Amino acid sequence: MTGFPKSVTRLLHAVLVLALVIFGGFPIYWMATTALSLNSELYNTGQVPWPQLGNLPAMLADLVQLPLMRWLVNTGIIAVGTTLLSLVLGALAGYALSRFRFHGKGPLGFLMFMTQVVPEALILVPLYAMFITLGLLNSLLGLVIANVGFSLPVAAFIIKGAIDAVPYEIEESAAVDGCPRISVLTMIVLPIIAPSLAAAAVISFFAGWNEYLFAATFLRDRELWPASVGLASFIGQYETPLSAVMGAALIFSLPAVVFFLLIQRKIVAGITAGAVKG
Amino acid sequence: MSDQALLERPAAVPAPTSRKGRGSQGLSRLLPYAFVILPAAYLLVFMFYPLGRQVYLSLTRTRLANPNRSQFIGFGNYERLFGNPEFYSVLKITLVYSTMAVVLGVAVGMIAALALNRPFPGRTLVRGILLFGWAVPNVAAALVWLWIFNERSGVLNTIVTGLGLERISWLTSTDMALPSILLVTVWQVAPFVMLVMLAALQSVPEEVKEAAVIDGADKLSVFRAVTLPHILPTLQLVSLLVMVWSIRRFDIIYLLTGGGPVGSTSTLIVKLRQVAFENHDLGMSSAYGVVGLMLALMVAAIHALFNIRRQRSNSR
Repeated sequence: MTGFPKSVTRLLHAVLVLALVIFGGFPIYWMATTALSLNSELYNTGQVPWPQLGNLPAMLADLVQLPLMRWLVNTGIIAVGTTLLSLVLGALAGYALSRFRFHGKGPLGFLMFMTQVVPEALILVPLYAMFITLGLLNSLLGLVIANVGFSLPVAAFIIKGAIDAVPYEIEESAAVDGCPRISVLTMIVLPIIAPSLAAAAVISFFAGWNEYLFAATFLRDRELWPASVGLASFIGQYETPLSAVMGAALIFSLPAVVFFLLIQRKIVAGITAGAVKG
Repeated sequence: MSDQALLERPAAVPAPTSRKGRGSQGLSRLLPYAFVILPAAYLLVFMFYPLGRQVYLSLTRTRLANPNRSQFIGFGNYERLFGNPEFYSVLKITLVYSTMAVVLGVAVGMIAALALNRPFPGRTLVRGILLFGWAVPNVAAALVWLWIFNERSGVLNTIVTGLGLERISWLTSTDMALPSILLVTVWQVAPFVMLVMLAALQSVPEEVKEAAVIDGADKLSVFRAVTLPHILPTLQLVSLLVMVWSIRRFDIIYLLTGGGPVGSTSTLIVKLRQVAFENHDLGMSSAYGVVGLMLALMVAAIHALFNIRRQRSNSR
């Protein structure tokens, strides 16, 4: 032992943890504090550094002036669509990658890994041109289609990893009984790996929920804006009360934070497995 | 590894043996393709066709106003690109940004993982709070950080002036913009590093550590001799992931500074968008993007190389 008494290391540890908590948690604390401030304080007399719950009604009154509800509904549609399509295609690919040997398996895995390297911005313009032709430009469906290209492989990697851990004997008897393979997948395998399926769902959902670049480029009607584009439109404008903007940002962030905290371990397993095995 | 191979080649499944299959097995030979056709076709149409288009665009003169009329010019855009000093500044910013993101993000994440690897009251709560930066959507993160960085009323400058110093132009001066963006990046990236490294640290075999301690090793040498070699592959993986993500990153940089001031935070990907939508030059924009892709691919290739070498030395 290098001579530090136990109480000193414990103190250093506590100081370190405190510093990390401040760095990690402050921006969210500040989001809440700003949402619960009066706008006159924010720009003139100086912000009060703690949340003033008494200002909640005033903030909410400003907040309902924003089309936040419509934005959240649009965001929800994009996120649900992205999730469903990613899970269906991801389950098919994940099952095949786990259980079959076939020509082109290696290249398929490589292509799926590649999607995690490709910057979204790189396919932005060609996708834009393609969506003009297909009539998908100013539509939520187009955004779902664009998002799934990136979230499908992640879902497939997670599902493949989970199926790898399921003993094959479980499927064998059903296969012998002449049950079609697709039913083996949907009725036997997928229920067993439900927790991983849930993780894949959460990741796809929030890939759609958070997405900004495609939505900001492809949507022309304000009616179709998701919350990410709507909130970003406040950047650099001063007509909307800042407290309401922060309140909206907080509401937009809350589901993501809650669900990511719930499935954090699964996400890490999926991302690292995908990156290792791709 | 061998368990997995066993799972992939079970005796009773027709598909794996189908190479030698004949007659009635012909149909089952196609079974795997029935599963992969949809996802594979999807990726080809909506990911790799556009990607190919984009690479092709970089070999053409194409204007945004008329994206379907392009004139093939070979490597003309690249010649112009490599002759343009601005390109080297963008490349340098990309490399500095992504390298610093890795160094700082991994350092802070690793320190956090080590701090959380020992039990203390409230550890679960602390762990949750430390993950905020990773879980908050980019747009929401950008909004609150813009306010924190705000020059006149932001909390950082309130502190700075409280200390009797001059206000700092966090996002609007060429000196400070990149460090400020790195601060936000570390806030977003370090939690992920922490999470992965924490998992790796918890898989270090306790007996080996105890044995080392009994043999009289101090904490630092236990870390160097036991813990570090065990977590090194994970550390490598996480560094390369963070590097690739940083080369790809668009949202947070675009929303915080738009690449400015005077291009001081303009990475290849941010520049790509600017050249396409502000200069309307799709060919040149694609050339920037292709360089970005090459950079990301190089990092991924280095990672694959490490992986292969490690697997070889493991199997020996």
